[in-house]
Amino acid sequence: MALGKNLRRSIALGGQYAGLIAFAIFTTFPFVWALSVALSADPSHIWDFPRSFLPTDISLMWFERVFKEMPFMTYLKNSTLMSFWTIVAVVVISVLAGYPLARLRFPGRGLIFVGIIATLMLPSEVNIIPNFITLRNFGMAASHLQEVLHLPDDWNMREWIGLNSYFGAIVPNFATAFGIFLMKQAFEQIPQDLIDAARVDGATELQIMWRVLVPVSAPSIAALAIFTLVNAWNDYLWPSIVMTGKEKLPLAVGVFNDLTGPFATSTSLVMAAIVMTVVPVLIFFAFTQRYFVSNLSGAVK
Amino acid sequence: MASVTLKNITKNYTKDITVIKNVSLEIKDGEFIVFVGPSGCGKSTMLRMIAGLEDITGGELYIGDALANDVHASKRGIAMVFQSYALYPHMTVAENMGFALKLAGVPKTEIDQRVRKAAEILQTTHLLERKPKALSGGQRQRVAIGRAIVRNPKVFLFDEPLSNLDAALRLNMRVELSKLHQDLKTTMIYVTHDQVEAMTLADRIVVFNAGIIQQVGSPLEMYENPSNLFVAGFLGSPTMNLLEAQLVGLEQGVAVVRLPKGITLKASVEASRGKVGDKVTLGIRPEHLRLAVGDEAGAVPARVDLIEHLGDHILAYIEIPGINEILSVKVAGNVTNLKYGDAIRVVFPEKNCLLFDAEGLAFKRVA
Repeated sequence: MALGKNLRRSIALGGQYAGLIAFAIFTTFPFVWALSVALSADPSHIWDFPRSFLPTDISLMWFERVFKEMPFMTYLKNSTLMSFWTIVAVVVISVLAGYPLARLRFPGRGLIFVGIIATLMLPSEVNIIPNFITLRNFGMAASHLQEVLHLPDDWNMREWIGLNSYFGAIVPNFATAFGIFLMKQAFEQIPQDLIDAARVDGATELQIMWRVLVPVSAPSIAALAIFTLVNAWNDYLWPSIVMTGKEKLPLAVGVFNDLTGPFATSTSLVMAAIVMTVVPVLIFFAFTQRYFVSNLSGAVK
Repeated sequence: MASVTLKNITKNYTKDITVIKNVSLEIKDGEFIVFVGPSGCGKSTMLRMIAGLEDITGGELYIGDALANDVHASKRGIAMVFQSYALYPHMTVAENMGFALKLAGVPKTEIDQRVRKAAEILQTTHLLERKPKALSGGQRQRVAIGRAIVRNPKVFLFDEPLSNLDAALRLNMRVELSKLHQDLKTTMIYVTHDQVEAMTLADRIVVFNAGIIQQVGSPLEMYENPSNLFVAGFLGSPTMNLLEAQLVGLEQGVAVVRLPKGITLKASVEASRGKVGDKVTLGIRPEHLRLAVGDEAGAVPARVDLIEHLGDHILAYIEIPGINEILSVKVAGNVTNLKYGDAIRVVFPEKNCLLFDAEGLAFKRVA
């Protein structure tokens, strides 16, 4: 009987591993393929399946070429800057909106929340035209202000907040229904006693939020940050519409504009650029994943 | 340190739902007061109103001499210990204890000093650098109490602080809380549904039911002279035996009542406001019921339903023929010959019998 039990356990365990491995292969194979192609100095096998998964004549040549063919560092800097500020803004806005929705009682609370959630139903393309017009008006207002205040011409304030500005490329992503929803749920998980304790200890509403609720909700905030990073890093459509100057393009747009299309030089080059585009997100994830562990243990019995 | 005065306090959640009805109470400086009552009686709500965590719908709350109705929780000079401990999970024990002082802008050295002093009182100095998740239940409760002590409050509020601990630890902490009160001599208000905690800790007990104070008094006074049926039934374990009866005779200082089936009993109470024929309730505590010796006069025949041996004493549940209630009798631990089904006779000593009128109010006992 003992043997039968062990056998059954092994089969169950084997099944679980097989499932997980299959899933891992399914999710990583595009990246592995891109990496393999990028590492192959000889591109002759890149379309032979499954031969293409093994690099031929390994070298970093294509990666070097990426730096020569396009301003990779400029795009990387733009992407980093835009993603960083998007994350900061999304977290701040989601926390500030989630707290009252979860914890304060005021008239219309339910209605406001339903309104926010309803925006999830709209496809994001609906926003493109209104946002474009709004941004153009922002730019005109800025340049008008510049004229009125007799500020120097080379300030070019139109491109601070209008079209072809970093601000314009990321501002529509700041307030997300998903982020507000996530933070509201996170704050609702927190026991009322903890908030009452802070109130008795003399904390104001804002102090309760920043010093107690936010640290306790760190896992949710980390999740929101990762999710926002991936979205912001990969955002293609809106920046490609708003940004006209090459020096302000993020990676996703830059790689596509410079390395694909009718005059594209090489698939290997594109793959190398893609690998380099993805790696920063992976590194960020590696460093933040430990915050995903629950932070609430020990607070209340 | 300060007194706490409640004047006609009322709490409504909505127009129709009143959870606290016109409660008035004076709590003296340095007193240990216990609010006790069944779940939902309003005792916790009352405490939270004193703490400033719930609005007061009507009436006045004074802490010391100052009207505190609209004072923010943190400005009332109170500290509160929660049932769930409510420790900040991301802070160490020392940070937890010093959080209020930090918010108040107290210099760091002074915070350290006061945290250390509180930790010494509670013997938690070795835990100061730990996070709450690395503490046991009892240690967490100590830290929660320490967090209250550090603030040097005028009034301590405890909201069922021991109900999450196991029985042995609860007993320990009860003793420690008593000692703490003796050392600090601060006013303490303690909410519990455990009447043993109430009896052992309190200078005075306040029994709540349905948002109304039923009775206020010292534990013994309440135990011996409950003012109504609710208090009589709530305090004491096992609970007081209560029997429906009819008033049949009034003498000087003695009331004669008849139970169904014609059993008559006497109670030493001043029942002159009642009249013959009234419906009354007779109450007697389990430890006062006595097994009859020989063929004692006035003893009532009964049958043993169940015996519980508790070491130092025995609880016998008995049934009197014709009466539906099961009565409990506390018998000395050495009476080991009782067993299920035995026919016995019990005595209701006249001086230990309490009598309540049809409204549930007690007739005054004759000393």
